Amino acid sequence: MILHTRTLLALSVFMLVMTAGTALAHHSFAVYDHTQTLKLKGTVTKFQWSNPHAYLDIDVKDAESVKHYTLELTSINMLQRTGWRSNMIKAGDEISAVAAPLLSGQPGGLLLAITFANGETKELPVPAIQTFKRTEQE
Amino acid sequence: MRRLIVLIVVVVSMRANATAQQTAANVPDITGSWERARDNSIPPQPPPPLKPEYLKPYQAKLQALREANARGQPIAERVVMCLPDGMPGMMGGPFPMEVLQSKGQVTIIQEAYTQVRRILLDRPQKAVADVEPGFYGYSVGHWDGGTLMVDTIGIKENATYQNVPHSSEMHIKERISLGANNLLRDEITIEDPAILEKPWTFTYAYRRMPDYQLLEYVCEDNREYADQNGVQKIRIPGSDK
Repeated sequence: MILHTRTLLALSVFMLVMTAGTALAHHSFAVYDHTQTLKLKGTVTKFQWSNPHAYLDIDVKDAESVKHYTLELTSINMLQRTGWRSNMIKAGDEISAVAAPLLSGQPGGLLLAITFANGETKELPVPAIQTFKRTEQE
Repeated sequence: MRRLIVLIVVVVSMRANATAQQTAANVPDITGSWERARDNSIPPQPPPPLKPEYLKPYQAKLQALREANARGQPIAERVVMCLPDGMPGMMGGPFPMEVLQSKGQVTIIQEAYTQVRRILLDRPQKAVADVEPGFYGYSVGHWDGGTLMVDTIGIKENATYQNVPHSSEMHIKERISLGANNLLRDEITIEDPAILEKPWTFTYAYRRMPDYQLLEYVCEDNREYADQNGVQKIRIPGSDK
C-alpha cells in the first residue's frame, strides 16, 4: 500500500512536470481553477468549431435570471481524433457540462466533460486533465 | 574518335547513374505521417548553454512565466496571437507532422498552424544576408548514407524557441534518420556563437502513424488574446473584466 501510494505520488509529480512543459509550449490553461469544478446545465447558444480551440456558449437559467457562460474546449484536431464532430452540438441543445472555472471570476471555464442532449457523456481530450480536481461530480 | 567519345560519355553516364542509384538505395523512405514519441533511447534535452549575459535574463524570464502561471495570469505565448512556432519548435509537436520526399526536396508539414518547411537537396547554403528572416528559415540538405543532413538559417530573432534568444547568425543543423525502435530521429544542433557558449544539441523522436492523414489547421476567430500587459485573456461575451 505504501509502495502504491509512493508510486502514485511519483506519477503525479511526473505528470505535473510533463504538464508544466506542455503549458509553456502552447496555450496555457493557467487561467482556470485547478481546485474546483462547476456543473452547468444550460441551453447551447453557439458551438464554435475552430482552432486553436473550440468554444461552447451556453445560457444557464435559474429561478430569476439567465447567465451566459463561455466554455473553452481543446483544438478541433484533437477533438476529431477522439471522435468529436462539428455537428454533435447545435444551438438550442440542452446540455450538462463539467468545467474548471476561470480564476478571474468571469462566467467562463474550461470544458472537462459534457453530457449531450441524447444523454451520452464525453470527456474532453484536455492535456493533463487529471490535474483538475473534480468537486461537482455527477 | 567519335566512337571513342560516345563510349566515354556512355561509360561516364552509366557510372554516374550507378552512383545515383546507390545513393537512392541508401535513402530511407520517411514519407508519411509521424507523431512525437517519447522513448528511453532519446536523451533528455539539456538546458541551453547560454553565455552568462544571456543566461540571467533567460532564467528571469522563465521565473516570470512560472510566477505568472501560478497567479493564474499567464503571459501570452506567440500561439495566442495565431503565430506559429517556427523552427525548430515546429519539430517538437505536439500535433502530428507529415514528411514528403520528392525530387530535390524534402517537405515537412506540422499540422498545428499548418507550418511548412522545405529542405532543398544538394544545393549550396546561402549567405545569411541573402535570406529574409522568417519563421521556418531557409533549409538545404543532403543525404549522407541514411541520414538527412540539414542546415537552416534565416530565423526571425523574435521567433524564439523555448524563450531562448538567438542571433541572425544562428544555424540549425539536423541529422534526420530512422533509428532504434522504428523511430524517426531528428538530432538538432543549434550553433550560435554570439549567444551560446557551445552548440546546443537535443533530439526529437517520432513514431509512424500509418493511417493518419493530416487535418486542416487554421487559427480562426481565436477568443484568446493578449491584453495591454501581455497577459493571456479570453473574450467572454457580455463581460469586459
